[in-house]
Amino acid sequence: MLELRNLVKVYPGPVAALQGVSLEVPRGMFGLLGPNGAGKTTLMRIVAGLLEPTSGTVHFNGEDIVADPRRIRRQLGYLPQDFGFYPHLTGESMLRFLLVLKGVEAPQGQKRLAAELLDRVNLSHAAGRKVKGYSGGMRQRLGIAQALAGDPKLLVVDEPTAGLDPEERLRFYRLLAELAEDRTVLLSTHIVDDISVLCPRVAIMYEGRFVADTTPSEARGRLAGTIYQGAVAKDDLARIDRDYRVTQAILIEGRNQVRIHLPEGAPPDGFEAAEPTLEDAYLLLAQGNANGSNGTGGEGDGDVDDDAAVEANPRS
Amino acid sequence: MNLFTRLWEVTRREFLAGLRRPSNWVLLVLLGLMALGLSDGLVTVSSGESGVGGERPHITSVFNQSMIQTIVMLVLAAWFLAISSGMVVIRDLELQVVEVFHSTRLTAREYVWGKFAGTVALFLAIWLLFPGLSMFLIHVVEASGGSQTIGDFALGNYLFPTLLFGLPQILFFAGIPFFLGTWTRRPIPVFAFPLAALLVTLSFFVGWSPSWLSPEVNRTLMLLDPSGFRWLNETFLKVDRGVEFYNTAPLRPDLGFVFSRVALAVAGLAAVAGAAGTYARRTLAGGAESRILRRFRRRRAQPAAPASPTTESKATLSDLAMTTRPLGFRKAAGVIARSEIRDLVVRPGMYLFVPLILYMAFASTLLAIGPFNSRILLTPGAVADRQLNTLNLLICFLLLFYTVESLHKERSCRMHEIFSATPVGTGAVLLGKSLGNSAMAAFILLAALLGDVVIISYQQLFAGSPVGFDVVPFIATWGGVLLPTFIFWTALVTALFSLFRSRYVVYGLGFGLIIHTVFSVQTGESMTWAANWLAWDAVDWSDMGAFTLHGTPLLLNRLLYLSLVPLLVVLSVKWFGRQDFDAMGILHRIHPKPLLLGTLRLLPLAAPAIILASILGIKGESGYQGDAADDWAEDYWKKNSATWTDFPMPSVSHVDLDLDFEPRERSVAVKGEYTFFNHRDRAYEKLPVTAGPWDPIEWTMRGEAYEPDDRANLFVFTPGEPLGPGDTLTIGFSYDFVFMEGISKRPEGAGQFILESGIVLTAFDPTFAPVPGYLPGIGVDDDNSAEPRDYEDDFHLGETEPLFGWGGAPFTVRTRITTPVEYTANGVGQLIGDEVVDGRRTVVWETEHPVSLFNVVAGKYAVIEGDGTAIYHHPRHDYNVEEMSAALDAARRYYSEWFYPFPWNLLKISEFPAYAGYAQGFPTNITFSEGIGFLARSDPLSHVAFMVVAHEAAHQWWGNLLTPGDGPGGNILSEGMSHYATKLLHEQVYGDRYRMEFSKRIEESYGDRRYVDSERAMVRTDGSRSGDGTVTYDKGGWVMWMLQQEMGRDNILAGLRAFIAKYNPDPDYPVIQDMLAVLRGFAPDTTGFDDFAAQWFHDVVVPEYEFSDVTKTREGEEWVVRGMVENVGTGWMRVEVGAVAGERWSDEGDDAGRTVVAEGYRDARTAVELGGGEAAGFVIRAGFEPERVVIDPDVLVLQLNREAAVFEW
Repeated sequence: MLELRNLVKVYPGPVAALQGVSLEVPRGMFGLLGPNGAGKTTLMRIVAGLLEPTSGTVHFNGEDIVADPRRIRRQLGYLPQDFGFYPHLTGESMLRFLLVLKGVEAPQGQKRLAAELLDRVNLSHAAGRKVKGYSGGMRQRLGIAQALAGDPKLLVVDEPTAGLDPEERLRFYRLLAELAEDRTVLLSTHIVDDISVLCPRVAIMYEGRFVADTTPSEARGRLAGTIYQGAVAKDDLARIDRDYRVTQAILIEGRNQVRIHLPEGAPPDGFEAAEPTLEDAYLLLAQGNANGSNGTGGEGDGDVDDDAAVEANPRS
Repeated sequence: MNLFTRLWEVTRREFLAGLRRPSNWVLLVLLGLMALGLSDGLVTVSSGESGVGGERPHITSVFNQSMIQTIVMLVLAAWFLAISSGMVVIRDLELQVVEVFHSTRLTAREYVWGKFAGTVALFLAIWLLFPGLSMFLIHVVEASGGSQTIGDFALGNYLFPTLLFGLPQILFFAGIPFFLGTWTRRPIPVFAFPLAALLVTLSFFVGWSPSWLSPEVNRTLMLLDPSGFRWLNETFLKVDRGVEFYNTAPLRPDLGFVFSRVALAVAGLAAVAGAAGTYARRTLAGGAESRILRRFRRRRAQPAAPASPTTESKATLSDLAMTTRPLGFRKAAGVIARSEIRDLVVRPGMYLFVPLILYMAFASTLLAIGPFNSRILLTPGAVADRQLNTLNLLICFLLLFYTVESLHKERSCRMHEIFSATPVGTGAVLLGKSLGNSAMAAFILLAALLGDVVIISYQQLFAGSPVGFDVVPFIATWGGVLLPTFIFWTALVTALFSLFRSRYVVYGLGFGLIIHTVFSVQTGESMTWAANWLAWDAVDWSDMGAFTLHGTPLLLNRLLYLSLVPLLVVLSVKWFGRQDFDAMGILHRIHPKPLLLGTLRLLPLAAPAIILASILGIKGESGYQGDAADDWAEDYWKKNSATWTDFPMPSVSHVDLDLDFEPRERSVAVKGEYTFFNHRDRAYEKLPVTAGPWDPIEWTMRGEAYEPDDRANLFVFTPGEPLGPGDTLTIGFSYDFVFMEGISKRPEGAGQFILESGIVLTAFDPTFAPVPGYLPGIGVDDDNSAEPRDYEDDFHLGETEPLFGWGGAPFTVRTRITTPVEYTANGVGQLIGDEVVDGRRTVVWETEHPVSLFNVVAGKYAVIEGDGTAIYHHPRHDYNVEEMSAALDAARRYYSEWFYPFPWNLLKISEFPAYAGYAQGFPTNITFSEGIGFLARSDPLSHVAFMVVAHEAAHQWWGNLLTPGDGPGGNILSEGMSHYATKLLHEQVYGDRYRMEFSKRIEESYGDRRYVDSERAMVRTDGSRSGDGTVTYDKGGWVMWMLQQEMGRDNILAGLRAFIAKYNPDPDYPVIQDMLAVLRGFAPDTTGFDDFAAQWFHDVVVPEYEFSDVTKTREGEEWVVRGMVENVGTGWMRVEVGAVAGERWSDEGDDAGRTVVAEGYRDARTAVELGGGEAAGFVIRAGFEPERVVIDPDVLVLQLNREAAVFEW
């Protein structure tokens, strides 16, 4: 169990990246969703023991990480958002070096283990190439391989699927899901699909605070019957946007496929009821916070006005 | 937007960006301070009169401005320029902005040239403020405070040096690092290039110019020197051309130099073109490495396999059965260390800097020059010692670079978060990185050691050196001194980086610390043992006993800095940036209370260092270099100078000393008695005697206990009855003391000492025995020193006091010396007793002929005996003793024939440890430092050991038997005459060739070191002015040789014999005028003698010859050489002109070892007589085809620039 209590982080400026957040992350996969600048990476770095918080505590299985970050390093698998490797080493050498540093052992030996880990992330073909020649996706997969290595009790992955093609994303999902069976995995992302697929629970961050702590199905369920979808001509889009709360507007084959949130009243012509998605919930929350109110939510930390979330008014 | 607009935009942006960089403002401030400091006129061309009111060189002259600008550019500005230029592209790459740039129409080449132009333009703008500010301060503010050093304003005097010296340097020092930075994309080569250039330029191009260097090599070095200083110095400054020249003459570069400056600028621009090329190629290739680097790094990397299609592995992670067991500390450190070493091995910088460091280390050894420009015998101890500072300095710089870059490496490649999240302990990380970088230092030391093995072995096997390799000195010095430095330095750099987390801050602090330490030690005042962390200049190696002088403070110093390492390690681990600190947390931590508590917790770790530093400070302050010693001397001067200066003392007629040494304890028990004899026609009521800081001293007078008046160690005796003319008085004394008590305050050599490795004590001053009278030199420093005495022209008439010694008539000495049995102790005179009792040896030395001074020297010696001579030397220093013994035998024999019969039975030389580097010719008992003679390496053009012995042995006659008078020209009778005697002995023993080579060496020394405007006639040279030294030694010896040509050899030697006979002894101690008066009586042509004396002794002249219009034609069987020769110097001399073919000297000597003329050599000669400014034509008819025309082929006329007075076809 990972427990965050009243975590505050103020950068010189001052910029309040975390404004007293509290969270309990049980065993299994936990998603952290939020827009850029919400404070997700700050939170992940504090949990990984790489950043000292201004105040607050972080405990993992009862051990105080803030007081002694060394405690977490022995149990941690970490994939940062932005990272690199020694450019002159090959992928295999780099991974083996990190395996050694982490003290990872396997019956087949470290060399074989490195090869098999690279195989798991589909990098076997590039094992002998220098890391500086890797593409962004290859580098990301190498990062994933090192994060998964060993037997980490806590896996912290920050934007892990950035740069991965769909197949690699699926492969990664599977690996992550396997690991999450018997340990805590904290996944930070702004890609809603990642959370939808992987996480039984999700917290949504906005401007250094949790605005929701819920499950994807719960978030979707709260919007049941309030989401409508329809195609809108280009000239009508401005009107729809003015009169309704638009969650998404995507141009498909020359027409705007628009989804609106309408808790009450009749939808515009041509709009039909649609299944709510986590993305709808997330975007409504984001819009609500941007407008000074919550869009949706669930049981969350003390910062969230749970019940008000889904009642947020459309901008009309 | 066209090409020029884009180029201009990049240039302008870089210029403006540069304005915001602190380093450029720092440079601006430093240049401003330099301009302010240099505008006061203290730094000028070394010329002019050093006396008050003398003519001074103008600080505004083009020569002075050129000198200043080249030095400031080299040592200060080039460093800033190189770094700011080399980092331009690296900085943009780190900021990842270049891809955005190149998504526009800006091409790679436009970008590179624009960046370079912006950097250079900004630097040029900053640099031009230096001459601009100098102009303002000198001409408007008149910062020098007087017009004496300020000439008329001439803009060209400031701008021409910038154009000639500055601009090519700017392009070179901007272009090369720019290329290195763009090519390697690493900062280390950029930082190291200016450092390497500075070191090579200062130590080699600027600083290395031995007299035996051929003119061709010298010229090549002038053209290769990037600073241009060597050309300026060798062409205009080295040989002083006088104030008039420097203040008025234009600076005209020759074509070759202009070409070299253009080539330097072109090299810089070519480097930028190369940078543009490599950058463009790599940009097009998507940021790949340069082809050369790629090839360089292509080692065992596996070939890239083609990308496989995505495969769906069925295996799960659990199949891998991974477990985690964190590494232990040692294993983790080992893993990190190996990784660091692998990283170092593939860095190109290593292959640049390691050879550079080795080159500098070997150059400091192979190019080392000893006395009389002699080469040094490369013994293991000498090599280890000579390379110590070079290796120390350069490896510390390298450790600074690589440690910082290593600590920053993970951040540079954005891997620090993954790396920091691993469970490896911070201590293991830091230790591993330190070990990895230390391996590099160890590798350099090992490579240097192997190189030294090769050098010393080669020297032994193929160059006839008797010295073999021995690893002990290397272990003692490198192991004992360098390793603690490197450990401490690595720990300190790591701690600083951990604290500041900024490469540039640590580079700045590191550089500052190193340069401050070296500068402070070199200037000699402030760097005590406690502060000298580099142990810079801390080792004075002696084969006779290393570390016996400074062993204790050196050991404490090393322990002090090693003891700081645990503290630094703890701080490093605490501060190292695996976790980014919170700003508020830092504020909390630096509150007084937590800060105090934190400090207190660290106190136990700091305690050993504090204790050791306190011991060094307290014991150093209370030791022989402490303030107490200075206070004693100051008190002595204050209480006695007014009363006792110039007090005429009675003679001492006999000295009886009983000395009982304990060398291990540096102590001696002294008991003795002086017999005073009043040789004057006055009575003495009081008699002062100066004693050292020995307490207590038991005095006796006339055999009875006595308490003299103690005036701060000037003890004044009052005999019951005044000491009348012809009366005698005995004064006795006894005391024991530790010489050089305590430990030294800072590492400095010692001229006299009692050490386990040897004993050297002289009676010049009260180091071990009282000295009669008041000594005016004690307690005198810059604050109370007096202007040099102004002598009347006839000062020599009447009685003149002696230049050195105790004054009065010579006296006899009996010295009884007791030492541990393994020591041999030598005093003046002959050995009359030698017995061993209870493991202690007592020898008694007694003079059979009076002496004017005495000394004591002892050591664990082997001895080689000659004909009435003996050389006492360290048993392993037998390399030159045969040559030295032959020289001493020859000196004793021939000087006795030529000057005066040697009146003592034995003439001996004793070696002492190289804690001081002098030789002194006390009567019968000459002392030589091991660095002189014993470790000199004779080369084909000189017999250095012979030369040194010949000079020092000559002091038995010129200094002892003939003690010169105290006044202008007096010392020439000692040093100049000894040089003259050396020439005579060279010619006698080895033939003309070596006499000529020795003559050329001291002639060049005179040319290099004289100050034209300060130089006075030899009869007025009193040692108080710059350049008086070379007049006293070199010109003195030369002029006597020319006088020999004027008088004839037999006549001058007869005259010199008569001169010594007349003044040995005599209450009137002679000076040059007295010698000339005697010699004139032996001159066959007194008119010629007078003319010679008038221009060479009573005036300052020196010829300088130049050829012009030289032709050779064949006329029948003859070759006829015609030409003009002009004396562009001063002085009227008859000089030979020779047309010659072939090499003059055969490599084979005759049976007696004297040089003989080579078979193929032929010459034909004529002579011209020229005064200053006169020219004359000459015709030489030769029966062979001449190859060259030379002036003064037998090296008989002192002249300047002899090497230039050669015409070759």
